[in-house]
Amino acid sequence: MHLKIKLEWLLLAALIILVLPPMQQFLEQSMVTHMLVQLPALTVIGWRLGRALPESWSNKIAPWNRWGITGMAFAIIIMTYWMLPRALDAAVSEWYIELAKFITVPAMGIALGISWPLLNPIAQGVLKLEFWATFMRLGWLYLDLPDRLCANYLLSDQRVLGQLLLLIGSAWAIAWTLRVMFGTKIINT
Amino acid sequence: MRTFLATLFIAISGILILWISTDGGRAFTAEEARRLEIRETPRSVPDWQLQNQDAETFTFQDWHGHLIVVDFIYTSCPGVCLILSGNLKNLQKDLSAEGKSDKLRFLSITFDPEKDTPQRLKEHLSHFSADFKNWIAVRPTSSPQKEAILDFFKVVVIPDEYGGYTHSAGYHIINPDGKLVAIFGIEQMDELRAYLDQALEGKDNASKN
Repeated sequence: MHLKIKLEWLLLAALIILVLPPMQQFLEQSMVTHMLVQLPALTVIGWRLGRALPESWSNKIAPWNRWGITGMAFAIIIMTYWMLPRALDAAVSEWYIELAKFITVPAMGIALGISWPLLNPIAQGVLKLEFWATFMRLGWLYLDLPDRLCANYLLSDQRVLGQLLLLIGSAWAIAWTLRVMFGTKIINT
Repeated sequence: MRTFLATLFIAISGILILWISTDGGRAFTAEEARRLEIRETPRSVPDWQLQNQDAETFTFQDWHGHLIVVDFIYTSCPGVCLILSGNLKNLQKDLSAEGKSDKLRFLSITFDPEKDTPQRLKEHLSHFSADFKNWIAVRPTSSPQKEAILDFFKVVVIPDEYGGYTHSAGYHIINPDGKLVAIFGIEQMDELRAYLDQALEGKDNASKN
């Protein structure tokens, strides 16, 4: 119990560091760190917070979130919103969209943390595959597009992001293949 | 049942939010959004005091009654500004050949006023053999004014890795009443041409009647 409380404080501290202007500006300078560092970090913080919630809370939420469906619907909507190029641009240029980002993305993480373990394994598989496919699709798109999607980011930045997405997606696919073929467990997902 | 209701609520409000924030599925990028916004709600251009290539003061009021095409440049630009202004040059040539250029004006605004002195603006225009009566280049006279102008046109300028800038490239149309009414992308030259033809002809007819 003692350790758990400590973890929550650490998570909150990490969240505050991410929100502080120097860190925020540093990560938002580039499309790559904005999308592959800041947003995932916010999600992971939310996820861990979601897992660390007291049991009495989860019990209250449970009847509204059977099989984790409500939480997943919420997470998918938030994720889709932050995949809109104009949402990313607006977060850089408008303070209230930025604020919304720092609230909704950790909230999405919390929803995932609570709901993912409750989700049917088949639904988990479908969503995982879809998430992986999004990496590959967007990676390809960013590499191939001749124009910038975000007014605040350079085309070269977009290309690097595309390469990284394809790289991460491929690594993921290789890890899965090894697991299916040889039972080697490199990653948990 | 409660899960069903909660999910339904989230799905409906979520789709509604996505629908609103993409202007009904019509604008997914900030560039599309600014074009759409201007088309639907034209805005009066404030009367900024700018400085032209002859170091004289220019205000939009000076060209009241004309159709104005505005592009944003910086004179040391190696890429997209050259294409932007190059297209304007062709447009100017075509339209003056058709005798339509009388009511049409081109304005190149620099967002790098420290480096782009009137002298350099003049060189930039000469580079495109611009007819100085119908096509001028101006620079903002202060930093807050520059920010206000970029903000008004929703032009985003970011430094690039070569010491220059990357910026929203487009043609901003100001109608004879001094309102920003449309923005065309650099890839929309045909649409721009058709728009100008129609606007200029419409004007001719109106003056004939």
